[in-house]
Amino acid sequence: MSLTKIPQLGVLAAAMVIATSAHASKDVYADFPVTVQNYAGDKQTSVSYGGQMARHALHNSLKKIIGKGADAQQMAAYFSGKDAGREIIDPASKEGFPVKQSQVDELSKGKNLAGKTYNGAIFGFPGNMTGVEVLEFMLDQASNTATGFDPLTGYDYIQLVSKFAMGAVFYSQAVDNYLDEKLEAGNKPNSKPYKDGAAYTGKEHVWDEAFGYFGAPAHTLTLTAKDVYNIAKQKPEALAKADYNGDGMVDLKTEMAYAHAYYAASFDKGGKTNYLHTITQAYVDGRKLITAANGRDLTDTQRQQLKAYADVIKTNWQQVIAESVFKYAGSVYADIAKLEKAVANNEDASKLFRTYSKHWGELKGFALALETGGKNLGIVGVKLNRLLGYSPVLLGNTQVTGIANGEYTQAEGISMGEYRVHMIKVQKLMIDAFGVQARSKDVTAELADLVASLGSSLAAEND
Amino acid sequence: MLMEQLLLDTLIWLQELFWGWLAGLQTLLLAANKRVSVGYLVSATLVALLWFSWRHNWSVHDTLKQLYSRQIWWSRSARLDYMLVVVNQAIMLLLKPFLLGKLLVATAIYYAMADWLVPVAWSWSGLEWLVPVIYTLVLFLLDDASRYWLHHLMHRWPVLWAFHRLHHSAKTLTPFTVLRTHPVEAVLFGLRGALVQGLVTGAFVYLFGSKVSLLGVLGANGLVFMFNLLGANLRHSHVPLSYGSRVEKWLLSPAQHQLHHSQDRAHYDKNLGVVLAIWDRLGGTWLAYQPQTPLQFGVCDEYDQHDNLWQAYWQPLQQSGQAVKRVIQRWVSARQSG
Repeated sequence: MSLTKIPQLGVLAAAMVIATSAHASKDVYADFPVTVQNYAGDKQTSVSYGGQMARHALHNSLKKIIGKGADAQQMAAYFSGKDAGREIIDPASKEGFPVKQSQVDELSKGKNLAGKTYNGAIFGFPGNMTGVEVLEFMLDQASNTATGFDPLTGYDYIQLVSKFAMGAVFYSQAVDNYLDEKLEAGNKPNSKPYKDGAAYTGKEHVWDEAFGYFGAPAHTLTLTAKDVYNIAKQKPEALAKADYNGDGMVDLKTEMAYAHAYYAASFDKGGKTNYLHTITQAYVDGRKLITAANGRDLTDTQRQQLKAYADVIKTNWQQVIAESVFKYAGSVYADIAKLEKAVANNEDASKLFRTYSKHWGELKGFALALETGGKNLGIVGVKLNRLLGYSPVLLGNTQVTGIANGEYTQAEGISMGEYRVHMIKVQKLMIDAFGVQARSKDVTAELADLVASLGSSLAAEND
Repeated sequence: MLMEQLLLDTLIWLQELFWGWLAGLQTLLLAANKRVSVGYLVSATLVALLWFSWRHNWSVHDTLKQLYSRQIWWSRSARLDYMLVVVNQAIMLLLKPFLLGKLLVATAIYYAMADWLVPVAWSWSGLEWLVPVIYTLVLFLLDDASRYWLHHLMHRWPVLWAFHRLHHSAKTLTPFTVLRTHPVEAVLFGLRGALVQGLVTGAFVYLFGSKVSLLGVLGANGLVFMFNLLGANLRHSHVPLSYGSRVEKWLLSPAQHQLHHSQDRAHYDKNLGVVLAIWDRLGGTWLAYQPQTPLQFGVCDEYDQHDNLWQAYWQPLQQSGQAVKRVIQRWVSARQSG
């Protein structure tokens, strides 16, 4: 080596030190040590949430199955089955974005969605059913369709099932179970392993499971919202960002983005909100607190602090869902305007109707999800359900009004124009009740531009 | 450490304020929606030159002398105008965050309308162009009418006149006299603008969505642009450009506005409008311009004249306070005797 290269090496080494320290200074949800007292196993870390990642893979796959023919048997295998041999249909390896696992059992064995679905009442869907019954009913109805879409009701089961399941399984389990009663002193204590022989304490695992359901990559705090969004979309340019351990592929257990974490990222990349990092930081801080207790029961002060982190997570998570309701209400508003115009001009409206139904399915799915957080929404829930109704308003101004003998009943109701106004009110409701900030597809967005075009009247002209 | 941070934050804040203030002044002189911007000052000069050469055979020299006399532009009164423009800009910048914004009003109206009205679904074949036309027209009409109405109140109510009197205390008129305004009055003007423009914009967007836009020139309302281009700055000048009584019934001429600034009692509280004369005619305050001896501008009452900035800002507050006190005293004595 020539002497002239030595300074360059020095610079390189310094850069590497800086890079490594920058890396280390970011909080990653991984490698927390084993703190279980008298642990006899050989595990090096207490972090474990494979079951949650298996359920994310089941949910993603189920969504694909509904869209591709909605085969009853296959849907059941991914929703309520536990059998070995289930392939991960989504997220699967793509050109430029290889994933590590191809079987659900590689993430965790014997998991399903049905067993973890909210079984409280759901008011926003007809039939007086529990959350799990609603999903079963939707899957049954979907099996009668060719592509998961029923043009007679406007129900898009791909979206309805997916968006509602994200709430009824992931959100509900996290905020109404793990971050709720399981944080109490007597429940899953930190001084004992979660189950006999486990490498994690009760509280460690409770917290890990809640984190897993959110769906964020373990290294989220080293990433931007845009990165996480691109990872969920499996964009090839995001591979390097996703592949935290540098093995050339994306580990679906720790490096992939799913469900509400993806939605949080999608709003945050607009720059007005910071849901993804706020929630993930609270998870990391909570996990550090539990780890610091070192296998002993949490003191009252520690538990109070932990519950404060949990509240941050719950509030922000609910806001992410409310933002989604806001966004899709805006999409439905725009869809109705286009539909009305097409109908008035005697144009073919079938494609527009399909888009309208898709957006409505997302809107309704997220709205139903808000009901599964364990907190009664009170008047907000009532208003939201009244505004949305049980189905989109169809071109003949009819809407689903209930379920009788397992079949939907429909009746004439409000006009599409009136329904469009309902979407404005839904957005207003999300602002008033949940304080949404990102406000994608804001129907009042045109106001801001127009008002800006009027200029400021700060220097009053006096005549 | 804390002190340092505080000091730094204050410095940054002051710096932002300074640049904001400078940018505001720049806008004032360059933007197409500001009366005193350079382009309109030039156009007003041209209008005056053409008009006086055509109607009165004045030479260019005479007109320019009349327009740009040093006695007018550097009078004590005019210098106070300039100082007020500069200081007001800073005061309004500080007040801005606390003032009602147009967007807030527009959004509130938009949501309120959703409670009682379903927008009509048109097929819009070939009629889209009408929406911006109507929007621009309605905005202009309501703006003009509400300015008349507020101006009327400023003259009628002693509590408000105390502030508006500052504008009328100008003894010489230059285009910058249009900005000789007490901050309290400026806040009221801002509120009016927010309510009227917010209301119209919120309602139009609710009813017509993205089809609404402002028909403008260089970002200014097209009608306001025309008004300014055609010499609105001559309203505050010493050149009595009159349109003749036939036109003045519909459009207020610069000469009519100069009557409004006259010390003569016969001219008090007349010609309160801005562009259209119809509001004055409806309100019984319209007065045609008659060729006469040069007008004396200013106010003559028992109060002090405004000679410096302190008087300009403080005296209106004092005078308004006295007016409020009188109202309360009257109310109390009426209750006691009743």
